[in-house]
Amino acid sequence: MNDTRSLPMPMKPASRSSRLAAALIVALAAGLVAPLWAADAPPPAAAGASAAAATAPGSPPATGEGSATRSLDEQIQDLKKDVVDLNKDLFMLEEELLFPANTQVAVFVSMDVGDFFALDSISLKIDSHEVSNYLYTPREVTALLKGGVQRLYVGNLRSGQHELVALFNGKGPHERAYRRAASVRFEKGVGAKYLELKITDHQRAQQPEFEIKDWE
Amino acid sequence: MLGVTTALRAAMPSGAAAGSIGHAAPDFALPAALGSNVRLSEYRGQPVVLSFWSSRCSLCARQLATLDRYYGTYRSSGLIVLAVSVDDDAQHAQDYAHAHVTAFPLLLDPAKTVGRAYGIERLPTTVLIDRGGVVRFLHSDDGAGDESYVAQIRALLDDKFGGL
Repeated sequence: MNDTRSLPMPMKPASRSSRLAAALIVALAAGLVAPLWAADAPPPAAAGASAAAATAPGSPPATGEGSATRSLDEQIQDLKKDVVDLNKDLFMLEEELLFPANTQVAVFVSMDVGDFFALDSISLKIDSHEVSNYLYTPREVTALLKGGVQRLYVGNLRSGQHELVALFNGKGPHERAYRRAASVRFEKGVGAKYLELKITDHQRAQQPEFEIKDWE
Repeated sequence: MLGVTTALRAAMPSGAAAGSIGHAAPDFALPAALGSNVRLSEYRGQPVVLSFWSSRCSLCARQLATLDRYYGTYRSSGLIVLAVSVDDDAQHAQDYAHAHVTAFPLLLDPAKTVGRAYGIERLPTTVLIDRGGVVRFLHSDDGAGDESYVAQIRALLDDKFGGL
């Protein structure tokens, strides 16, 4: 086991967009920003007045506090949905800015069965530079075994020939420490490059197999 | 006079670490001396007591024993305790963990990446993180037996939304 296991974790660039979304919520709550969707709606006071007019003498009284609470709850849910959508859009925008398609390289991890290998960590090197050293918790391994695919790394590379080396650490058959490397040479072209680290079980050999798939 | 000053200084959170109060606790993943790897963000929604220790620090041993007692008491209420070793040699921490088994994980950080992220300058240092992953209290002393300590843990447990 190497000592450099306390992670440079792949930072999700969502943090900035999350902050923006949070700031928007605060601004909306404080009434500093008028929501776009409410541009042609009456202001709250006017809305209250029109609601009062709607329940003018002669018309039956509103269902009371229950309906008001429900209405408020619906508005909050709508607001939350809008914030989530905005966060998604900002995240995608940030991704496009930070990792343009012409330089983007992304490495994914998938795992199958896992009878012969219990994943502990993956160390990733591109052109001999360590770009990721990721430690897996049991929950993350379970998620991978259930069919989850993890984006382990996303970065930028210039066009041309490159080499990716992945070092897998964990426990192999009979609970023994197991360390294997897999490498691939790939050509980075104009479009985004996607590589997948696949960990599978080789039933006949009773051994795990490590493969790097280049998604053309 | 000098004694009082020293005691006060010991109870005050030190510079860089104190600056983390009110901010999001830096996430990390570390191997445990016994058992599997641990990632802090997986405990979002639960209050976390994060203690920094070393196998050569006698105050830390007392601190860990007290935290073990707290963990036994408040575990069922959702309290999580994690202890990060800052020993240069992970083997020392491993030996300590085998000799002094605790109910919570003792984590290994020989590169001191996590210690640096939290601005730890003295041992033992204990960071109390709320359910929302925000650093709420910090102790740069061995005062885990203090009543204020228990009160803070209870406050975190009672705060059902804690920064969420």
